[in-house]
Amino acid sequence: MGSMKFTTGILKEETNMSNITNQAPVRTSKFSLPNIFRNSRNEEIPLHPFRVIVEKEISDQVRSWRFIILIAIIVLTTLGSLYTSLNSLSEAIKVSHVNNSFLFLKLFTVSNGTLPSFFVFITFLGPLLGIGMGFDAINSEHNRGTMSHILAQPIHRDYLLNAKFIAALTVITFMFFALGFLVMGLGLISIGIPPTPEEFWRIIFFIILSIVYVAFWLNLSILFSVKFRQPATSALTVIAIWLFFTVFYPIIVNLISKSVIPGQMATSYQMYFAEELKVNLMRIVPNQLFSDATTTLLVPTVRSLGPLTMQQVYGTIPGALPLGQSLLLVWPQVTALIAGTILCFVISYVMFMRREIRSR
Amino acid sequence: MKDFYKLIQLKSISVFFASLLGIMFISTSAFATNNVYLFTPYTTISVPPGKSINYIITVVNNTSEVQNLGVSISGMPWGWKYNMKSGGWDIKKIAVLPKQKEIINLHVEVPLKINKGTYHFNVVAGANHLPLSVIVSKRGTYKTTFTATQANMEGHNNSTFSFNANLDNLTADQQLYSLRSEAPLGWDVTFMSHYKNVTSVSVDPNNDAPITVKVTPPDGITAGTYKIPVSAVTNNTSADLQLEVVITGTYDMVLSTPTGLVSTEITAGKQRRLELIVRNTGSAILYDVQPGYQAPANWKVTFDPKSISEIQPGQYAKIFATIKSDKNAIAGDYITKITTKTPEVASSVSFRVSVQTPLLWGWVGVLIILFAFGLVYYLFRKYGRR
Repeated sequence: MGSMKFTTGILKEETNMSNITNQAPVRTSKFSLPNIFRNSRNEEIPLHPFRVIVEKEISDQVRSWRFIILIAIIVLTTLGSLYTSLNSLSEAIKVSHVNNSFLFLKLFTVSNGTLPSFFVFITFLGPLLGIGMGFDAINSEHNRGTMSHILAQPIHRDYLLNAKFIAALTVITFMFFALGFLVMGLGLISIGIPPTPEEFWRIIFFIILSIVYVAFWLNLSILFSVKFRQPATSALTVIAIWLFFTVFYPIIVNLISKSVIPGQMATSYQMYFAEELKVNLMRIVPNQLFSDATTTLLVPTVRSLGPLTMQQVYGTIPGALPLGQSLLLVWPQVTALIAGTILCFVISYVMFMRREIRSR
Repeated sequence: MKDFYKLIQLKSISVFFASLLGIMFISTSAFATNNVYLFTPYTTISVPPGKSINYIITVVNNTSEVQNLGVSISGMPWGWKYNMKSGGWDIKKIAVLPKQKEIINLHVEVPLKINKGTYHFNVVAGANHLPLSVIVSKRGTYKTTFTATQANMEGHNNSTFSFNANLDNLTADQQLYSLRSEAPLGWDVTFMSHYKNVTSVSVDPNNDAPITVKVTPPDGITAGTYKIPVSAVTNNTSADLQLEVVITGTYDMVLSTPTGLVSTEITAGKQRRLELIVRNTGSAILYDVQPGYQAPANWKVTFDPKSISEIQPGQYAKIFATIKSDKNAIAGDYITKITTKTPEVASSVSFRVSVQTPLLWGWVGVLIILFAFGLVYYLFRKYGRR
């Protein structure tokens, strides 16, 4: 249904597009073939159909019931977590005298146990949002037979895949900024203490990190939507991967590390290496990368993410890290998430471009 | 004519003899009859100049009649002051009941300006004499003395020295003394009288005033003996007092930085050079100042110079410390304590060292992302536009 709308939208644009796109092949014929790409970048006119597809995709996403349900769930949980964090904020201030300077960040991290805090919700629901938006991106077009219609238009083939990704990413970006500012605004109204510039930038980086995290799951689901013809198969596969990483993988890592730790007679070095092995194994999981990075950004007193030796701890003074140092600390995690996102995109791109598409 | 002259001569001689006989009769009768007589136990007293003597003189009436006698002093040396009292009154005459006695208090002040020697005077009551002698033991002075019971004191360079001095006015006039000190530069000398700071003090003649002299040495003074001359001066008399303060050596040292800033930043695995200042705040020379440190594990601090041979009191020496952090130090604040010590004293300063992680791995991450984007670009070129 959505895809049908999409094709009609494209066809409506045909009248003004045909003038433009008809010129493009004429022009490209003047140049040798490898220059086509550069040519299309230098002249902004051929980008126009891409924007059209992106805008159409965004309106499709926003109007779909699936997205409305997902966003309703996320907004409700956000408000719930905000409520619990506001309730337990006064206790959190009493408990930790040292970190009182980062009161505003506690809105995102503090919980009294009845509901998880905001960033835990994002860790949990972010993948679902990404999967929900991407698992039928390509194969539904195939199944409805609209793919050949779209590709019959005078546009580049990869526009479709790129537009699907960009549209979903745009929606996620707007949504997460809206959520983040919603929490900030409501928190500002209820506690009345404005965030310091550093706190503000930490929250902004946290939102960007959440977007990157969801973008990873989005790309993974797009990959499977390219791979599998049936949307149900791709959805189940991605959810299986997500469940594996959130539920089963930690159990497996625990089993491995337990077998590695030689018991109570172990020396401290053996304990250290076993702990480090466990942490490194956990770092394969995107959830772990995300929660590591958010913890560091939202709790400035976190100084290290791995196990520490006494040599490293001796002589330290408890205190908050400056923002630059926190960012440097989480940079490997961010790099891994971005690289994973791009890797998924590259694989799905290659698969999509090499596929033969026939009309049914 | 000649006979007449002779007669007159004879007559005068006889009158002379008669009167002489009469005197002898009276005096012998005074002693012999013991009707009325004067008594005091100390008839000859030896005193220094400026002293006053109190005689208790008893007038005894052995007669059976009331005796009303005029009392006076005769032959008192010039310049001596005296008064005679009985029952709290100045008296000129005294009456004594029969077979009774009365007491006269005689107060004699020996002047200050007097020569050594024996001086005599008589107490006369009616016809009775009581000769008294005063031996002045030494030649009297006419000056001021300024003395301290303990003119030498020892203490640290940061203590205050209190000397108890006595200002004696041995002159005949009241004197207003101006109190001065010729202490070396930087010394603080204050005079106190009756617990108040004063610059001048008034002393009655033949009286004294206790003066407390407070001496505060200047900061950063070296150990040693210092003379503090003080004096009390009027326009016609003066007295000097030489006080002595012995400063014992104290050993004190303060380690700090030129700006007072004790925090620094350091990249993990890198080093930072800090300028330190060792200040000798004691009063003795510090020899062989050795720097040391207490740092997190695998951190190293080297010093340039490795030690300081000596620092004079009040002076300071520069020392450069190079802190090298551990390669595996985690980001955030560490504490590094730098100590300087001599055999006598030690001082330390704690630095808050903010460790920053090296940017290398950040750039590696950026390269990985750039590589990924490059891959996308390559694929766009290869597949995208055909």
